[in-house]
Amino acid sequence: MPPPPRIAYVIDPRFSGGTSAAVAAELKVARSFGQVEVHAIESRMFHGRRLAPALDKVLDDLGLTPIWDEGTVAADIVVLHNPSFLKFQERMDRCILCRELVVVTHENFVRPGGAEGFDVASCLRQIDAATLALRKVIAPISPANRATVAAWQEGARLPGGWAVLDDDWFNICDFPLAPPTRSPADRRGRHSRPGFEKFPPLDILDACFPAQAAANVILGADSLMEAAGSHPHWKLLPFGGLDLPRYFEMVDFMVYFTSPAWRESFGRVLAEALAAGKVVISDPDTAATFGGGVIAAHPADVDAIVARHVAEPALYRAQVAAGQTALARYSAERFAGMFAARLDAARGWAAA
Amino acid sequence: MILIEAGEQSAEAFEAKMLFVARLAARGHPAVLDDHWLPEGLQRTQRYDAAPYLRQLAGSELDRVILIGGEVIADETLQRLRQIGLPAAAPVVLIGRFESRQGRISAQSRLAYVLGREPEIVDLTEAQPAPLIRGQIAPSAGLTVPGTGAPATPDVRLFLPEAAAEDATALMALDQMPEMRLQVVLPRRAREHLQLLRHIPARLLGLAELPPAPGAHLPDIAVIFGKDAPPGRVAALAADMIASGRAVIDCTESYVLCGGTAPVLRGPRLLAALPDYLRRTVLPNRADIGRQMAASSWAEAHRVDAIERLAGLEAPAAAVQDTRPGRTIFLPTNGNGLGHARRCLLVASEFPATPVAFAAFPSCVPMIRAAGHDCLPLVPKSAVHGAEHANDLVNYMRLRRLLRPRDRLVFDGGFVFDSIQRVILEEGLEAAWLRRGLWQAGQINAESLYREGLFRRVIVPEEAFAELNAEMSFGSHVHHVGPVVGPHPEATPAAVRAELAARFGQEVRELVVTMLGGGVAADRTAHLQMLAALLERREKCLHLVLTWPGATVAPALYGWKNTRVCQSRAAERFAAAADLSVTAAGYNSFHEVLYHRLPAIFVPQMAGFMDDQERRARAASDRGLALTVRPGEMLLLEREVLSVLDGGQGAALRKALADARLPAPGNRRAAELISAEDWS
Repeated sequence: MPPPPRIAYVIDPRFSGGTSAAVAAELKVARSFGQVEVHAIESRMFHGRRLAPALDKVLDDLGLTPIWDEGTVAADIVVLHNPSFLKFQERMDRCILCRELVVVTHENFVRPGGAEGFDVASCLRQIDAATLALRKVIAPISPANRATVAAWQEGARLPGGWAVLDDDWFNICDFPLAPPTRSPADRRGRHSRPGFEKFPPLDILDACFPAQAAANVILGADSLMEAAGSHPHWKLLPFGGLDLPRYFEMVDFMVYFTSPAWRESFGRVLAEALAAGKVVISDPDTAATFGGGVIAAHPADVDAIVARHVAEPALYRAQVAAGQTALARYSAERFAGMFAARLDAARGWAAA
Repeated sequence: MILIEAGEQSAEAFEAKMLFVARLAARGHPAVLDDHWLPEGLQRTQRYDAAPYLRQLAGSELDRVILIGGEVIADETLQRLRQIGLPAAAPVVLIGRFESRQGRISAQSRLAYVLGREPEIVDLTEAQPAPLIRGQIAPSAGLTVPGTGAPATPDVRLFLPEAAAEDATALMALDQMPEMRLQVVLPRRAREHLQLLRHIPARLLGLAELPPAPGAHLPDIAVIFGKDAPPGRVAALAADMIASGRAVIDCTESYVLCGGTAPVLRGPRLLAALPDYLRRTVLPNRADIGRQMAASSWAEAHRVDAIERLAGLEAPAAAVQDTRPGRTIFLPTNGNGLGHARRCLLVASEFPATPVAFAAFPSCVPMIRAAGHDCLPLVPKSAVHGAEHANDLVNYMRLRRLLRPRDRLVFDGGFVFDSIQRVILEEGLEAAWLRRGLWQAGQINAESLYREGLFRRVIVPEEAFAELNAEMSFGSHVHHVGPVVGPHPEATPAAVRAELAARFGQEVRELVVTMLGGGVAADRTAHLQMLAALLERREKCLHLVLTWPGATVAPALYGWKNTRVCQSRAAERFAAAADLSVTAAGYNSFHEVLYHRLPAIFVPQMAGFMDDQERRARAASDRGLALTVRPGEMLLLEREVLSVLDGGQGAALRKALADARLPAPGNRRAAELISAEDWS
């Protein structure tokens, strides 16, 4: 019987939002396969910030103590999440020795229109210089995210010996599922971190959250507060200003458009809304991750879509069911299967 | 419109925006600033700087946005840009000095998020890799200001730190160099120190008084002293100088300006060594130095047209050559009275064919226009204005629009307002100060002299009596001329009286004219009432109270039969027909009494901002040419009025006046000095 695999995670555990939540969910699965170490890097990107609460809790639950600032990471497989944390520095002060290095790309390599999302080449170069591995792979987290990796490769090259993984290293979405309401109303909402990238221009927000809606709840609206005077029909709440369950009680539709110059790489907030039993409407690129589970639309179409689903509660319920079915693709079980295959493959290269 | 924005909204960033917007505007671009960002506690000088460019923005009016200092973009800046709502077709240009590729990507991305489209990027680490000073927020945008050849006496602008005031001896030596025309720029405390030492350089300025962009005039040489890097305003001016082929000399302790590739001369660090350095090294080679500076690759990269190309701006069409002849613009600064304006009109009436126009306060506008001149109305001070200088800020904007580079400005007043100083400096105007010769004790101080250096000529219309003429300052630029006084009215006294009789429907056998002021400097209601009561008892006597627009008149004056209150622009016409004038002793009325040989009683008006009317009045009465009654001597006033009308004093005054020898009027000489082609 071979010894249990050694698994190491290299992360900056201070990422807020999706990356830390995804790593937290993933650690629970990885722990079931063998010995897990978490190597924490204090990158310049998050100087002065604290550990992400979701990650802190899981590390505590799993009895894992992050290893800060220790020089060498040695394991069968090393998973480095979100290489963009290296973007404000020139050197990763670590040595990674492993059979396979998986670099999970939580941030899109290019933005809509083709502009680079971050200095990808610099981040990959730092990782490459710090790593001795049999194989180094880029692992996109969704089809949309994969497309940005491919787009980036059209103008740049991966370091020698690197490949792109065929399977998506998706976010585990094992949220508890809530049933849809029986009597949907025109109660709209959106939630996200307050970053500028998360919000479209005001005219698009106006189209998505009109005065005739019974409710327009915008959670994470820190940068929109100045618009409160001119938009009395918007309920603007700062990031963290409301618990998610309470927020979901206030809305039946999640209408989620981002800046046209930015796209979600996975769309964890959409998954949360689907699990909460809401109809979710978003742009076609973002909706694609969830197949038909999220309604792909343009802002101008939102009113008609909402009106149709309010008028036909059965249609509303069917749409929520489709969304929750889509979430099954991102279960912990499915991730475990994918992870096991990676471990086997890594050991296979070693035997070969 | 092109909005100039900065990544951060600090005081430094506001200054950088101002320097940049002023240069683009000078180049002919419709560049503006968002008044949303007017910083709290903005200094008075900064308000003048910014006023021409501030706009209340509606996004739809914008054709382009240029964001400078793009290496750091604050959330509040992004929020504001999103709030403005730019038209989709308006390009946005992000200019920054990006230290890394990621820095550039981050800035571009953040801006793209709020705009919904990608900005164009200008990376100054590539476009302008060797800035004059580190940490400069705005790109260098050196204006090319055409020179006037190689003037025989070049303008040298000397930037000094506070400590330099302690080396006043060296400063005095520089100020006396005949080979150049020195202008010293000093911090406020240093200026105050020099005032204590009783040494005021001929031309002295504060740094904040320099306009953000040079307009039509640049010095020929700039010398920069200091411990460290000079402020952004000085660096921006240095870039203009280099672009225009003028010498810039670095005398800073660390040679911060000439340490890179910029074509800057390395001068002595000691102020005392500067005269020799200028004499032997710079002045003889000035033309060659300028040529090399202008032709350098540094100048090429740091000119406004270089940044214009990078920012995607079309070079403005070459300005149509303004072939209109330069005008002489008279600017009298009366508050309520007409004195300064009247003096200017008298000088203007002696002008040759040169076009003349006026800018004046409302009380004078009808009189000036009636004389056939264009007149731009200025805004007087008012208690209802939010700030003390609010009116002057508006006047500054109006004067900017009025004045053209070849115009000459003739200022007549006691205090040189900020608006006047600014337009002279911005446009490089030739300006003359028509300045009174009589001052109250204590009025001649450094503060009054401080701005004299703005004027190429100071013309002092003298008082009729030598003891009244104070030598406020000296130099070849100061010209004394005889009193400026109007001609004797043509109408005979009989004709004027007949006219008044017809106008008021009463026979006029006796005429007393009072002109005691507008009620601003002093309240003369009691005097007027006393005179009205006294003259009411006299048969066929007309007591004419002359006032002017804005004067305060007590309603009770209208109850008398012999007393009539009227406004007139021809006071001298009625005074010349009167048996007696009871008048304040302002410059015009005083000299009209003397030169028109009119019996008069002077009741001087005194206020801190006025000339010394009591001395002036006494000078005449001591010679037996008039009577003087101090404002508090009401009974004496009554006695003196009766002594003139009934006691033969009137005839005595007329005889003394007829015999008096007075200096020749200076109207024509003043006009000649102003209209002379060459003021050097």
